[in-house]
Amino acid sequence: MIVSTIPQFPDTKFSLVLFEQVQNAKEIRTRMSELSTSFAFIDPRLICSEEQMYSAVYKTLVEVNYNKMRTRNLNSECVLCLSPTSNISDAFQKFGIKDDSSQLICLKFHTETDRLNKQQLSTVLSSIVKGIEIEFTDDNLSKFYDESLIRKVCLKVKMIGNSHTNNI
Amino acid sequence: MTQEFIDKVSSYLTQDVDIVPISQGAEAIVFSTTTHPYLPKTKGSHEKYIIKYRPPKRYRHPQIDQTLTKHRTLNESRLLAKLYLIPGLYVPQLIACDPYNGFIWLEFLGEDLPGGYGFSNLKNFLWMHDQDPYNDLVAATLRKVGRQIGLLHWNDYCHGDLTSSNIVLVRDGATWAPHLIDFGLGSVSNLVEDKGVDLYVLERAILSTHSKHAEKYNIWIMEGFEEAYNEQGTKGAKKLKEVMKRFQEVRLRGRKRSMLG
Repeated sequence: MIVSTIPQFPDTKFSLVLFEQVQNAKEIRTRMSELSTSFAFIDPRLICSEEQMYSAVYKTLVEVNYNKMRTRNLNSECVLCLSPTSNISDAFQKFGIKDDSSQLICLKFHTETDRLNKQQLSTVLSSIVKGIEIEFTDDNLSKFYDESLIRKVCLKVKMIGNSHTNNI
Repeated sequence: MTQEFIDKVSSYLTQDVDIVPISQGAEAIVFSTTTHPYLPKTKGSHEKYIIKYRPPKRYRHPQIDQTLTKHRTLNESRLLAKLYLIPGLYVPQLIACDPYNGFIWLEFLGEDLPGGYGFSNLKNFLWMHDQDPYNDLVAATLRKVGRQIGLLHWNDYCHGDLTSSNIVLVRDGATWAPHLIDFGLGSVSNLVEDKGVDLYVLERAILSTHSKHAEKYNIWIMEGFEEAYNEQGTKGAKKLKEVMKRFQEVRLRGRKRSMLG
C-alpha cells in the first residue's frame, strides 16, 4: 500500500493499493453504490505506469481546488481525470473495473477529518476485495496493462509510429 | 513587481516546492524547480523541471483575464502534447498543467555552455562560436535547427515566435540536438502565410543578433528546412515550393500584410 501526497496539496493524503488474482470483481461492482463514497476501483489494464496514476491524482486536486467537482467525490473525480474525454459515464465504464477483472487498483483520498490508519484500511479492504495485495510499482503495473486497449481508449487518432514510447 | 509575483507563486506552490526565477517575458515568468509536481519517487533526485507561470494582468477585467489565461495555457499545453508525439521533432515534455491559475510544468532542457557563455540556447551558442563561425559543428547544428522547423511546418504547426533564444540545444554526445521551446504563440495552421512569417521572423532574428555571419547562418538553416520537406517525397517538394514562394513575398513586404483596399 502506498500512502502519499502531492507536494502542492500537502493536506490531502491518498492511498493506492494494487490487487491481483481478484475473484469477486462482480460482487464489488454490485456494491459500487455503497462503496464508491470511500474508494475508487480502477482497471489496471488501462494503467501503464505510476506516472499515469499520479498525474490523474494531481489533475483531480487541481480541478477540485481551482475549478469544480464534476462528480460526487474525489475518488470518482480521479477516475474521470484518467479519461481523455470529459464524459463521466464513459470514463467510469472504461477505467472502472469490469465483471471479469482479475486485477484492480484501489484508490482512496483521505480528507483531513478522517484519521488515516494503514492497518485499519488494510483490514477494511481485505474484507471487500478477495485477492492478493501486491506493491503498486511500475514493475507490477507493467504485467497487467494492455497497450492495444490503451491505444483504443486514449488515442482516437491512430499514430503513425511513436518515437517516445514512455508517453502513451 | 516581480517580487510580488514570486511571492504569489510560492504561496500557490506551498513551501514544499522550491523555485528559482530564470526568465521573464511579457506574458509569463519562467522558474526552475527540483520538485516534480506529482511523482513521489523523484524526491531527492537532482532532476530539474520548468514552471511557466502566466500572472494576471491588472489592466484587464479580472474575468476576461482569467479566461484569456486559461485559453492560452491550454493552447500551449495541447500543442506541446501533440508535438511531443511527432517522431523526430524535439520539444520539451509536458508534465502538468493548471489552466485555472496559468501554470505549466515542463521538462528542463539544456545546460550551461562552457566558458561562461550562459545557457545553451542557439543565441549563446552562436556567440560562443563567434570567433570561428564557419566550423562544421555550427553548420551541422544550424542545419538541424532548420530540420526541426521543417518538420514542424510539414506537420502543419507554426511556432509564432521563432528566435535564436527560443531554440535550446541539448547535448547529444559531441553534437547538439536543437529543441524548440515556448509555444505561447504557436498554432495549428496549414496556411503558407504563417509558415512564411515564421521563417521570416527567424531570419530577421538571426540578422539582428548575429549580423556578421547571418547570411551563412540563414543559408544553413534553410538547407535543413528544405531537407525536412524533401524527405517527404514529391508531395513535400511541392509544399516546399509553396512555402518558399510565400517566404520570398513576406521578405519583400515584411511580416504584416498590407490591408489597403
